[in-house]
Amino acid sequence: MRYQIASGHSIDDVLCAISRGRVVYALEPSDAGQYHLVRAETWQPGTSTLGSFRPVEPLKSLVFRPREFLGQVGGNGEQPAMPERIMIGVKNCDLSALRIHDHVMLKTEPADPLYAEAREKTILVSCDCTDCLEVCFCPVVGEQPHAKEGFDINVSPTPKGYVIETGSERGARVLEAARDLLQPAGDALVQERDKSRAAMYQRVVDQAAAKGLRPGMDFKKAISKSFESKLWEDFAEDCVECGACNFCCCTCHCFLLADGRGASGAPERVKLWDSCLFKNFARVAGGANMRPHRAERLLNRFDKKFNFFPDVLKTYACDGCGRCVEACTGKIDIRDVLKRAVDEA
Amino acid sequence: MKPDLYMPVPARIEAVIEETPNIKTFSVRPAEAMSFEAGQFIELTVPGVGEAPFTPSSSPAVKDHMEITIMRAGRVTDKLHSLAPGAEVGLRGPLGQRYPIESFRGREVVIVGGGVGLAPLRALLFALLQEVSSFKKIIIRYGAKTPRDIVFRDAVAKKWDQGDALDVLVTVDRGDDTWTGPVGVVTAILDEKNLRCDPKNGVAVVCGPPIMMKFATVALLKRGYPPESIYLSMEKNMSCGVGKCGHCRIGTQYACKDGPVFTYGSIQSVPKIWE
Repeated sequence: MRYQIASGHSIDDVLCAISRGRVVYALEPSDAGQYHLVRAETWQPGTSTLGSFRPVEPLKSLVFRPREFLGQVGGNGEQPAMPERIMIGVKNCDLSALRIHDHVMLKTEPADPLYAEAREKTILVSCDCTDCLEVCFCPVVGEQPHAKEGFDINVSPTPKGYVIETGSERGARVLEAARDLLQPAGDALVQERDKSRAAMYQRVVDQAAAKGLRPGMDFKKAISKSFESKLWEDFAEDCVECGACNFCCCTCHCFLLADGRGASGAPERVKLWDSCLFKNFARVAGGANMRPHRAERLLNRFDKKFNFFPDVLKTYACDGCGRCVEACTGKIDIRDVLKRAVDEA
Repeated sequence: MKPDLYMPVPARIEAVIEETPNIKTFSVRPAEAMSFEAGQFIELTVPGVGEAPFTPSSSPAVKDHMEITIMRAGRVTDKLHSLAPGAEVGLRGPLGQRYPIESFRGREVVIVGGGVGLAPLRALLFALLQEVSSFKKIIIRYGAKTPRDIVFRDAVAKKWDQGDALDVLVTVDRGDDTWTGPVGVVTAILDEKNLRCDPKNGVAVVCGPPIMMKFATVALLKRGYPPESIYLSMEKNMSCGVGKCGHCRIGTQYACKDGPVFTYGSIQSVPKIWE
């Protein structure tokens, strides 16, 4: 169901109404011209924003947290329930990335109980991109800068007002709280939305074209033929194994179960984000390592994203958010890597 | 909410058997019964130190405790080797897929082990011995570094009390004054002279260090075993054990979830599987 905001009300009124009584995650502009994903007690007009492109922090950090406490070894393991949360301003790259996490954490049985709870407790309000960063390239990997599915509620800003759409039964229930502020969306406004979306899509396509990439390129073929290429050694020259590309990635899902002792001295276990660029990621006791060289680990990252996931889930595990481009200490640009692999294939 | 998936069941070490200078067998009793099938593995926790994957070496028919034969090779196993009977540990599992023993019935089974790699094969052997008449023949070819490095030494010497029902041959890389058997790596006793087998109709099951598995596989292929009849234990650094953490990927599969036992045929196209 599509709505527009009734006269005399604002988008802030709507977002305040639907977030009341829930823990709110929203975007806040940063001085560097980016957005940060922050936790707030309420939707704060003037501070909280829907954002015109994705924030620095990936959405996955809310449902697959960087460090999750699993319990005391030998303890009963009971943990406090998570409160209901609403995440406002999700962009499609992050939203769509949940298909990877859902596949790994929920659909690959047995399900991960922490992820299942976080997913269930997190209402997702997505928002079309109305601008992009230079590093954005979502159309190249089959995405687009607006959500098609997976949201509870989607907000589309247009020059003539907002279109607000429900995408799930839960979304419809949540939007009930703003019933008096909304009216069914007029066809003209929906057409305006579609026009804005098409223009934004084309803008990102054109931007990616400047880097030699275009929608429909066969990255699976390119990467699966690249195993013997020197390209991995060339790009790995600049890799410092910091793991930033993995940690900021909207789809990377690898983790490590780590044991230690808590403040009281009791043995504890945590689940931590891990990075396949780290030297010991594949190392086994005794010292054997499937991927002792950086070039092999860099190839592994691309093999997982552009070869493994197409095989097991018929999708790339990359949504073109460009965070790894911004985060890389060695200035390795995923677009350059893909371009070279395609050129060599 | 309880993250049971990743947390172990408390267990107690009941006995410690010294197998070799750096290998011990731990008899472990979990607080709640935990059964496994030959080929499946468990994650053994040393509280506060860490967790590591092992395939039990005891009979899968015994449900109330299990034996785990462990070489001292890293941080967790160092600590394990310092533990005495009574120590509290944790067990998580069973994890992974079992050997498809039903498809071995009516066929000859060749078991090829290297070093501590005989441990998981011992669980398989116990399972096979439960129904020994179902198999045409059971053959064991085992290699250890020196006579002192042979695990389950008494059982090996006595052929698990099976007499001629088991064809057992052991080789060592370096002999000593007492050693009268073959000397050389295990592949040296997979030739026509030392291994009379039926590659077209039989199966071969291999477990050992990566380099040993590589050369044993090459030797078995040369003898005529089809890739689909060679079963390999691909021990990787499984962390979660349930196909989520990403550590033990082999091509499109995970060693923890889809293995740890794979036929050579199912992984031969994956680059660098031996490393």
